[in-house]
Amino acid sequence: MSKNGFISLLFHTLFVTFMLAPIIVVCLVAFTPEGYLSLPTNGFSLRWFKAIGRYPEFIRAFWVSIGLGALSSTIVLAFAVPAALGLARYQFRGRDALSALLLSPLMIPHVVLGIAFLRFFTQFGLSGTFAALLIAHIVVIFPFALRLTLSSATGMDRSIEQAAISLGARDWVVFRRVTLPLIMPGLISGWALAFIQSFDEVTMTVFLAAPGTETLPVRMFLYIQDNIDPLVTSVSASVIAITVLALIILDRMFGLEHVLTGHSDRTK
Amino acid sequence: MAFLELQNVTKTFGDHTAVNAINLTVQKGEFVSLLGPSGCGKTTTLQMIAGFVPLTKGIIRLDGRDLSNVKPAERGLGIVFQSYALFPHMTAAQNVAFGLEMRSIPRSDRDQRVRDALALVGLAGYEERFPRRMSGGQQQRVALARALVIRPQILLLDEPLSNLDAKLREEMQIELRQIQRNLGTTTILVTHDQHEAMALSDRIVVMNKGDIEQIGSPQDTYHSPASAFVATFLGKTNAFEGEVQVAQGGISRIIVGDHVYTASAHIKGPVIISVRPERISFAKAGLRGTVCTRIFRGNHWLFQIKTIAGVATVIRQNDGTSMPEEGHDVHLVWREEDTFVRANSKVG
Repeated sequence: MSKNGFISLLFHTLFVTFMLAPIIVVCLVAFTPEGYLSLPTNGFSLRWFKAIGRYPEFIRAFWVSIGLGALSSTIVLAFAVPAALGLARYQFRGRDALSALLLSPLMIPHVVLGIAFLRFFTQFGLSGTFAALLIAHIVVIFPFALRLTLSSATGMDRSIEQAAISLGARDWVVFRRVTLPLIMPGLISGWALAFIQSFDEVTMTVFLAAPGTETLPVRMFLYIQDNIDPLVTSVSASVIAITVLALIILDRMFGLEHVLTGHSDRTK
Repeated sequence: MAFLELQNVTKTFGDHTAVNAINLTVQKGEFVSLLGPSGCGKTTTLQMIAGFVPLTKGIIRLDGRDLSNVKPAERGLGIVFQSYALFPHMTAAQNVAFGLEMRSIPRSDRDQRVRDALALVGLAGYEERFPRRMSGGQQQRVALARALVIRPQILLLDEPLSNLDAKLREEMQIELRQIQRNLGTTTILVTHDQHEAMALSDRIVVMNKGDIEQIGSPQDTYHSPASAFVATFLGKTNAFEGEVQVAQGGISRIIVGDHVYTASAHIKGPVIISVRPERISFAKAGLRGTVCTRIFRGNHWLFQIKTIAGVATVIRQNDGTSMPEEGHDVHLVWREEDTFVRANSKVG
C-alpha cells in the first residue's frame, strides 16, 4: 500500500482533510442541541432538522433550485449536443471563435453577470421572474455541459456512423440509433455537472431572485445575514445527504468514473 | 459492360492532389485490390466510391448509373472498416440486423438472414454477444457478416485484416476468399500489404502518390512490373547497376559487373536491372560473388551475396541439393525474361 513517500502521504492527508473538514464540521454542528453554532458536546439532537419544517420558504426554495437546475440543464443539453457535434467534426471559418464564445461565460465573474442581467431583465420587465433566472442559469452552465459533451463527441470513431450510413440509415436514424447512444455517457455527465452548477450558483442568482423565486443557496445566504443559529447547518447537512444519495444512485447505474470523465468503456 | 466504372476520378484537398485522374473498371463478381503505401490515395478512392468523400472531378458509375447524386445511404454498398466500426451498444445479432431493419425486412425473415450471415462467417451461437466481449478476429467476422447480409452490390474492404496477428490474418485471407468466391460479390479491397493483395485478388491496382502505376493480375504485376515502384513494392527485388551496349545488327549486350550476356534491350546506356531473388540461380559462369550470409528458412535458403554490382539477395528452394556455404565464391545467372531493365537516371 505505502508506495507513496512520507511527504506525498502527508500532502494527500492534509489535502483530503482540508477538503472534507468543513463538510464534516457542518454536518456535526447540525446535530447540536444548543441554540447557537457549536459542536454537539452534550449529546445529539434533531431539533434543528425539525426546525426546517417551520420555515416553508426553505422547502419552497429547495424545490425552486431543483426545478431550475433540472430545467436549465435539460435546455442547455439540447443546445450543447448539436454545438458539440458541429465543433468536433467540422472545420469551418470562425470555429475557434465560436468555441471561445460558447465557453466565455466561464471567464466572466458571476457578480458582473449578476449586475448585467439585473439591468438587462429590468429593461425588459422580466426581473424577479422564474424565466429570468432560467435564462441566466442557461448562460452560466452552458460551458460545463458543452465541455463534457464535446469530449465524448470528439472521442467517437466516425467510421461507426459511416457504417450505419452505408447500411442505409438516414441522418436522423444514425443520430438516434448510433450517435446518441455512443455519446450518452458524455450527455449524462454534462447534465449532472450543469445541474450541480445551477444548484450551487449564488453570486449571480442573489441579484436576480425575488421572493418566490429564491433558490436554496440564496435563501440560506439571506437567512444568515439576519440570524446566526444552527438551522443553516441542518439545511446544509440535508442537501449533502441528498447529494451523496444521488451520487450513489449514479454510481450504481452508470459507474461514477465514467460519468465524471464523460467517457465510456463501451466506445473503446 | 463494366459493373463499376471510375472515370477520370480526381480528389484534391487544398493544393494537395490525393487522387489524380484515375480510370478503373471492375467487372461483376471481380475481386480487385487497391494496393499502395500510405498516402497513395487508395483509401480516398474507396471513400469516394462509398460516397463519404465528394469527387473534385470525374464520374463514378455503378451498373451504368452515375453515382454523383446518390447518397451514401442509398448506394447499397457493404463496407468493412479497419477499426471494424461495430455498434458497441448492440449485440452481434443486432449489429448484423441493422442493415435489414433499415430495409424494413420483416422480422421472421430478418432473424433467419442474421443467423445465416453469422453462420457464414463461422459465428453461429454468438448472436447475443456484445462486441467488447469478442476477440479482434470475431469482431472482424461480425463486421463482415453485417456488410454481407444486405447483399451489397459491392463489398468495400478498408484494410480489414491489418489489426489481426499474422496467423489469424492468413486464416481470414483464405476464408475471405472462399466466402467471396461462393457469394460472387464484387469486392474492392484497400490494403498496403502486397501478400494480402496477391492472395485475394483477381486484379491488383498498384497506386502511388495518387496515380495508378499498374493494373493487372497478381502474377502479371509481380512478374512484369510496369515501373520500378511496382517492382520494389511488390515483393523483394535485386537492383543491379549495369550497362547496355548496342552492337551491330541490333543485338545488345548487357554488362553487369563481370557478367556479360546478349539480350534484346530496347534502351542503351547505364541501366538498372531488376531480378527477383528466387529467379537467380547458381552456375559455373556468370556474375561472380562471395556468399556473406546463408540463412536456413526450412523450405528455402536465403543468401546475401556480395558482387561488384552490389549485394544480391538470392532465394533457393530447399530441394535437397547441396548449397554453397558462407565465404564460398559463386556465380549468379538469370534468364532474360525474368529481368526488368530501366535506365539508370543517376548515372545517365
